[in-house]
This record gives sequence, structure tokens and C-alpha cells, in this order.
Amino acid sequence: MLQNKLLFNQSSVSFEIIGLPDYSNDENKEQISIISQWKLMIIDKPLIEGNFEHLSSIMEAFYNYSNFLINNEIAFYQSNLIDIRLDNFLTHNILLKSAKKDVKPLNIIIGNSVLSDIINCFDQFNSSNKVRNVNLKLLKNNQKKSLLKLFNKSKISSILFPPLISIFSLFIFSSIYFYLYDADGYKEKNVFLNSLKISHSINSINTIL
Amino acid sequence: MLTLETIDLNGIQSLYSLSNRLKLNNILPTEIAIWKLRNNNPMRKSHINNNIKLKEFDALIKLAFEMSKYLYPYIRNILQSRDDFEKNPSIWNDFKKRFTELINERFNVDSMKVKKLLDPKENDKILIHSLLTLALCNSDEGYQKLRNYLIDF
Repeated sequence: MLQNKLLFNQSSVSFEIIGLPDYSNDENKEQISIISQWKLMIIDKPLIEGNFEHLSSIMEAFYNYSNFLINNEIAFYQSNLIDIRLDNFLTHNILLKSAKKDVKPLNIIIGNSVLSDIINCFDQFNSSNKVRNVNLKLLKNNQKKSLLKLFNKSKISSILFPPLISIFSLFIFSSIYFYLYDADGYKEKNVFLNSLKISHSINSINTIL
Repeated sequence: MLTLETIDLNGIQSLYSLSNRLKLNNILPTEIAIWKLRNNNPMRKSHINNNIKLKEFDALIKLAFEMSKYLYPYIRNILQSRDDFEKNPSIWNDFKKRFTELINERFNVDSMKVKKLLDPKENDKILIHSLLTLALCNSDEGYQKLRNYLIDF
């Protein structure tokens, strides 16, 4: 059976989707609902290809990584299949790991322009009505999950505990002082001191006279 | 927006015609209305605190998003010029020169933030980030991405 091919191009990147329509749903012959293979071709770089499961992982990685970049977060994404990290603000280091034991990981370094082309190709693919929309919902959920992963419990506790402890100790000390403070005694002391002052002043006037 | 205006020489007119096309006339009726809203930026020489409303903020993001869609080939070329700076520095240098000219013309250069934008050692990173953000926010979901980023900013 002849398979359908769809190509999404953007400057230095081409993204090819190969698959079949879902005939059980009476779909158009040109439609691709069952993706069997995909190829990501970048000029001057090795070909990246895989099956449907790999596609969702790769797209997830690129979208999450680009969101980290946009939001000025630590630009690093790691999964079983792909790692992407920012080398400096100019290059992105992609490490593709094969599921097969004998195959060595493939390292590709790309610039900002190529990264934006890849995302643009994925965007074209996502918005195309000729191919089944694979993973937008999955991506949103995973974005939240990966963002949650960034929150390290120990980090949060190290940030929150010192000010909380200091506020709590201040509260305890002030409340202890409030209960121990004897207002009546203070008033009596003041009256006694004032009477002493008056008698001293009368004595001093008498000596002057 | 200043990054987009650096690329498009008729930036103000383009923004206004785009707002008409997007039917944002009720929020942004004139070029002056756009200019007034942009003056909310405290780094500008002519800064006025207008208390920008949410619908005005959204309209400006919509404009920036649509403009970045139109200008994507140029944005990409500038990024590529920076990637291959040794081979092809002219596009990047021209962009950077025009950006600093606009900053000097419109921004309060005594401010520390503006000084950072003009510092040749520091502004590369800022410019690349703003160009890359515009390039990555090109899809149907780009408007939401850009909005989220600017709200968190």
C-alpha cells in the first residue's frame, strides 16, 4: 500500500511525515492519521528519523526547551531519548540517544536560527489539517509537569524556613515580654521617683536661699 | 516592539495598519493612541503613566505577535547572521546599530537599565533573546506564549 508523505519546510529545515489515512473513519486519501515514520532534515547535519512514539518525545523536548528559553529559565531538557542544553546564548547542544544498545548517541549542535526553523516546522505540522494532531494536549500537560519538576523541595524549604523561623521567634519573644511586663509597678516606680525629685529640688532651693 | 521597529523602518505606520486589519480600532484608534500606550515604558524619555488597561495590553501583544509573523524571514536572517558572525556580520551589525540609534533617540540614557541595553558587551544577549522569543512565538499558540512571558516579566 502506498503511503502518504507530507513535507513542512522552513529555510534550513525540512520535516517529513509518512503515514496512512484512517480508512475506518472514511478519511480523505491524502490525510495522514496513522504516522509510521518521520524525518527531520537539517542542512549540513545528520538526518534525524524515527517512529510515532519518538516523534512525540522529540516534539515535546523541543517545545519544552523553547518555552524554557522564552521564559528565561534554565534552558536544559533531559529525557530517555533526547537531551537539549544551551551551550552559550548562541548554540544549542542536542544529544539523541538510541534505544538500541550498540548505537552511539548522536550529538548535534545548532544555532538560534535553526532552532527557530525546527519549531516553525513543528508549528506548521501542528496546525496542518492534513495530519492528525498528535500531541498538543500532551505537551501542555508535560510542560506543567516539567515545570513542577524544577521545584526542588529542599530548595523551597531552604528559602522559606529561615524567615519563617525568625518571624516566629520574634513573635514568641514579644508575646513573652508582653505578658511579663508589669504596668502597675512601672506607674508606682514613676510616682516614687517624681516625689524624690520634688524633695531634692526643695532642698536645693533651700540651700540657695 | 522596539525590536520589531528596528527591523521594519516604517514600524509605526505598519503597527497602525496592522491594528486596522486586526480590527483593533476601538482600542487603538490612531497612531497617537499606540504611541501613548508605548510611553508607559518607564525607560522612555517621554514616559507617561497611563495606567494601561488589560484590553490595551492584549491589543499591543496581538500587534507584536502578528508583526513578528510577517517579519519572521528578517528575524531569522538576523539570528543567522549572529550565528555565522565571522562569515556574515553585516546584517547583525546593521540591526544592532539601528537598535542603539533608536534607544539613544527615544530612551532615557541616564537610566541604568537603558545603559545596559546600550552596553555592547551586554546587549548581544538581550537582543538575541528578544529576537528568539519573537521567532519562537510564531505559531497559532504564539500569542498565548508571548502573553504568558510578558505577564511574568
